[in-house]
Amino acid sequence: MPISVMIVDDSAVMRGFIRRVLTLAGFEVSECLEASNGEEALTGLEGHSVDVILTDINMPKMNGEELLRRLEMDARLRSVPTLVISTDATKARILKMLSLGAQGYITKPFSPEALREELERVLGEKYA
Amino acid sequence: MKSLIVGISDCKVSNDLDSTLVTYALGSCIAVVLYDPATKVGGLLHYMLPESALDAQKAQQNPFMFADTGIRALLQAVTASGALPKRMVVRLAGGAAVLDTEGVFQIGKRNYLAARKILWKAGVLISAEAVGGDVSRTIRLDLATGRMWIREAGAIEKELMQHHSPRKAVEGV
Amino acid sequence: MPEQLQSAPRTDGVTGFGAIVVRVAAQVLETMFFEEAVATACEHAWLPTAVTVHVSFEGSHRGEFLLSVAPDTARSIAAGFLGLDPEELTGTQAAEVILELANILCGALMSTLWPESALSLDTPELASAEHAFLGSMHCCFTLPDGMVAVSIGVSDGDGAA
Repeated sequence: MPISVMIVDDSAVMRGFIRRVLTLAGFEVSECLEASNGEEALTGLEGHSVDVILTDINMPKMNGEELLRRLEMDARLRSVPTLVISTDATKARILKMLSLGAQGYITKPFSPEALREELERVLGEKYA
Repeated sequence: MKSLIVGISDCKVSNDLDSTLVTYALGSCIAVVLYDPATKVGGLLHYMLPESALDAQKAQQNPFMFADTGIRALLQAVTASGALPKRMVVRLAGGAAVLDTEGVFQIGKRNYLAARKILWKAGVLISAEAVGGDVSRTIRLDLATGRMWIREAGAIEKELMQHHSPRKAVEGV
Repeated sequence: MPEQLQSAPRTDGVTGFGAIVVRVAAQVLETMFFEEAVATACEHAWLPTAVTVHVSFEGSHRGEFLLSVAPDTARSIAAGFLGLDPEELTGTQAAEVILELANILCGALMSTLWPESALSLDTPELASAEHAFLGSMHCCFTLPDGMVAVSIGVSDGDGAA
């Protein structure tokens, strides 16, 4: 089943890495939206529905934590699965993001294969 | 059932359903095993060293000695036999810590990193692997089913199951 | 050569901070950049030509992180990450990958050095190699194509070495 994706990271090359994993993992990506911070992501998601949101935490303007808070407040976007991709491996941060609704958390550095596995877990069997 | 034996610095590709591709005693060497379930084309490369730049002349004589020239040749060979890269199951074995000529243990790890780098560049992800540690491994690929079996020195033969995250599966690399 | 480079602190052996930096840097470079990094005795003649990145962090600890990468090493790291040949890279791509490497390395180091911390990292910025040493924490690494140096300066908090 094709999926549409929103990738939020302030590094263009990291967004490229994630996009490459999505493609090589065999997901049929119908649409891949990208944003370099939370604010841009919310703008990009206006009038767009996506199957999963992959977001970094540390970003200028609006960070990933605030983005998750905003998504939780939005009736339409609340149900979209989110996967956090961050360098922050501290327990407090992981628990915080999960409490804000994140369904997956993977810390940088990750191998392409580890991201594929986490994506498959978050998306569930229907997209695998 | 026939055994098609792949030696050191060697590579074989086949779609003979009565055959098994086998390679013995992988130490710091790496075996790259490709299989396309649709066409039942399988390939097995057993290389020794991470980079052909180490000895360009030898790489020309035998590309299967090195990760870069060997994996490229393996991908070309399986594709020429009808395998599609996006359908392929990619598995790795070997890369153990074995003393090299300089008395260091790094060659297995370098061989493993070279495989990961080249496969990422070639646009294929790894489905399963049994690498690192300090054991010698013998592996075989059943071409009819695509199942891969692995026997570590001193242990019984086990099937290498797919979809294990490399970071979780690797110990001691 | 600027005086700071000559009087720079040396790699901190295998204990404490040094051991953590060695382990984390090797893990980061192997996992996402497909490079083997081996801790090495300091040698800084290459630093003036290096690509140097600066990251500030604040929160439960405050300070600065610096990563310097020799130019050829930077191209090789960037090519590995992007899945390209070094010849296919643009200069911008190489710089962007090193900026992201600094972000990942700094974040991973902070999480390992201070697992109970709550930190936020600023956006990495290219900096001059003359500022390559900010604090007493410093390590050099050898990669197949050249060298990498990492320094951390902590200005307050309880994490200073």
